[in-house]
Amino acid sequence: MEALTGLATGFGAILTPANLWYCFVGSLIGTLIGVLPGIGPLAAMSLLLPITFSLQPLGAVAMLAAIFYGAMYGGSTTSVLVNIPGEAASVVTCLDGYEMAKRGRAGAALGMAAIGSFIAGTISVVLVTLFSPALTTVALKFGPPENAALMVFGLVCTVLMIRGSPVKGLVMIALGFLIAAVGQDVVNGRERFTFGSVDLLAGLELVSIVIGLFGVSEILLNVEELARNDVVRTKIAGLLPTAADWRASWKPILRGSGLGFLLGVVPGGGPVTASFLSYTMEKRLSKTPEKFGTGTIEGVAGPESANNAAVAGSMIPLLSLGLPANAVTALLLGALIIQGIQPGPMFMVQRPDLFWGVIASLYVGNVFLLLLNLPLIGLWVQLLRVPYRILFPLILLLCVVGAFAANKNLFDLPVMIGFGVAGYVLRKLEYDLAPLILAIVLAPLLEQSLRQSLVMSQDGFAIFLVRPISVGILALSAAVVAWIAWRALRPAKP
Amino acid sequence: MAERALNLFWVALGLATCAYARSLGLTGPGGPDSGLFPFIAGAFVAAGGLWLLLRARQTRAGNVVWPRGAALARVTMVTGGLVAMTLLLPYIGFVAAAVVTMVVLLRAIERTRWIEVIGLAVASSVAVWWLFARVLAVPLPQGPWGF
Repeated sequence: MEALTGLATGFGAILTPANLWYCFVGSLIGTLIGVLPGIGPLAAMSLLLPITFSLQPLGAVAMLAAIFYGAMYGGSTTSVLVNIPGEAASVVTCLDGYEMAKRGRAGAALGMAAIGSFIAGTISVVLVTLFSPALTTVALKFGPPENAALMVFGLVCTVLMIRGSPVKGLVMIALGFLIAAVGQDVVNGRERFTFGSVDLLAGLELVSIVIGLFGVSEILLNVEELARNDVVRTKIAGLLPTAADWRASWKPILRGSGLGFLLGVVPGGGPVTASFLSYTMEKRLSKTPEKFGTGTIEGVAGPESANNAAVAGSMIPLLSLGLPANAVTALLLGALIIQGIQPGPMFMVQRPDLFWGVIASLYVGNVFLLLLNLPLIGLWVQLLRVPYRILFPLILLLCVVGAFAANKNLFDLPVMIGFGVAGYVLRKLEYDLAPLILAIVLAPLLEQSLRQSLVMSQDGFAIFLVRPISVGILALSAAVVAWIAWRALRPAKP
Repeated sequence: MAERALNLFWVALGLATCAYARSLGLTGPGGPDSGLFPFIAGAFVAAGGLWLLLRARQTRAGNVVWPRGAALARVTMVTGGLVAMTLLLPYIGFVAAAVVTMVVLLRAIERTRWIEVIGLAVASSVAVWWLFARVLAVPLPQGPWGF
C-alpha cells in the first residue's frame, strides 16, 4: 500500500509536460547512442550531464536514466543489422540476431528485442516498486557511522566488479581516492594537491574526467581503425513476432527479467553480465542447444530482456542506499549530488516526490522506448550508414562543450584531454576504468562520514562497533572480503 | 615496455603521494587528518605498481597492439586537434575554433572533398553552438566577432 501511494506521488511528479519531454528526449538519445557504435551510454550521459544542471532534479535524472535504458534498447539494432554491438550489453545479441538478419528475419529479431525489453523493463520496475520501501524502515536510523560503513561496503563491492587483473583494479580504486582528494579538504578546508593552482581548489571536475576517460579515449581507440559500416541491405519487414516466435520466447523473457533484475541489484552485476548469463542459461535449458548461434530467437529474447531488467534493478542500491552498482549509476549518483541531493537511506523519506518520480519515470520511459523503437527502426538503419569519419568530429565537439559547460572553465578542457589520453593507454593495457569512477564518487562520501563519525565519537573507532547497523554492514563487508580472498587464494582446478 | 613504464610510474606516484600526504598530517585530535586518506591511497598505488612490476608475467596485458603508421597519425591528429581547439578557444571563440578543428580532422583522417568538409564543419559547428549557446544558454567562449 505504501508503495502504491508513493508510486502515485511519483506519477504526479513525472506526468508534467516538462518532465515527460525530458524523459522522451532521454529515451530518444539513449536509443540513438545505443544504435551508434563508438559511443556508449556512459560517454553520452557524461556529455549531457552539464545540460542537466539547469533542469529540475527530477527532469535531469529522468533524462539521464532514460539514456541508460534507452541504450540497452538501441544497442540491439546494430547487433542484429551490422553484427557490431552498439554497446557492451548487446554483444551477445550479435550471435543469434545477426544470423537471423542474414536469413531475412531481421524484423522478427528487432521486434522481439524491443518487445522483450519492454516486458522485462516493466516487470523489473514493478519489482523495484515493491522492494524499495522495505529499506525505508532502517533508513531513519542512519547517521554518519552507518553511512561510513555503507561506503566501506560500497568499496568492497567495487572490488567485486573488477574485470581483468584484480591488482590493476585495486590500483584504479586507489587512484580514484587520490583524484578525489585534489582540492580543499571537505572537513577543515585545507588545500590538498593544489600546488598553488586556483583552478584545482575546487577539485578535478567529475564531468571532465568521465568525458575524457570514456568519450575521448573511445574515439582514440576507434580512429585507429576506421571501419566501414556494412549494414544489412535487405528490406526490414515483419517486426511483430509470429505465434511460433512468442511460444519460443516468453519463457526466456521471463527468466531474463528475473535474472537481470537480480544482477542489477547486486553490485558488480549490471546489464553486461546479465545478458551473457541469460544467454548461457537459455542455451543450457534449451532442448536444442546446438541451434544457439545459428539464428534462434531465444538467443535474442533472453539477453535483451536481461540487460533491460538489470538497468531497473541497479536503481535499487542507487536510490535506496546511495551505492552505485556500476559506472553508469555512479554517474547518476554524481548528477544527483551536483543537484544538491544525496541519495541514500534518507532519500525516500526526505524527497519522496523525487524518489518515486524517478521510479515512475522508468515506467514512462519504457512506454516511450517501445513506441520509439518499432516505428523508427528504418531511421536507425539510415543513421548506421553515416560513416564514423563524419561522426567522430561531431562527438569530439560535444566532448569539448560538455567538459566546458560543467564549470564554464577552460581549465576543464586540458583535464578532459589528459584523462582521455590516460584512458586510452589504460584501456590498451587492460585496466578496468569503472572502479576508478566509482572510487572518485565514493571516496569523498566515505572520508566525510568517517571523519564526522570520529568527531561525534567519545571512543574513537569504537563508535562503529556499538551501533547495530554499522557493525552489521561492516561484518557483511568483512564477509565479502573473506569470500574474495578465498576465491583468489583457492587452488585453480586442473 | 609501456606496461613496465606505467608500473614504475605507479610506484613513483604512490611514494611521492605518501611523502606529500605525511606533510599534511595523518592524524590529529579529532581523528584522521587531511593526509590520511591520500597516504593510504598512495601506499596502495605504490604497492600495486610494485606487485605489477614483480609479477609482470602473470599480470601483463595480452596482445597489446599500439598504433603505427596511419593509425598512429590518426590518433595523434585527434589528440592534437583537441589541444589546438583548447588553445584557440579563448582567442577566436567556439564557432571558429570548432570549424578549424573539424576541417583539419575531416581532411586528415580520411581524404574528403573540400566542399563537403567545409559544409559539414560549418553546419555542425553552428548547430552545436546554436543548441548550447542559444537554446541552453551555456556561455561558450566568444571570439572578437561575438560567437
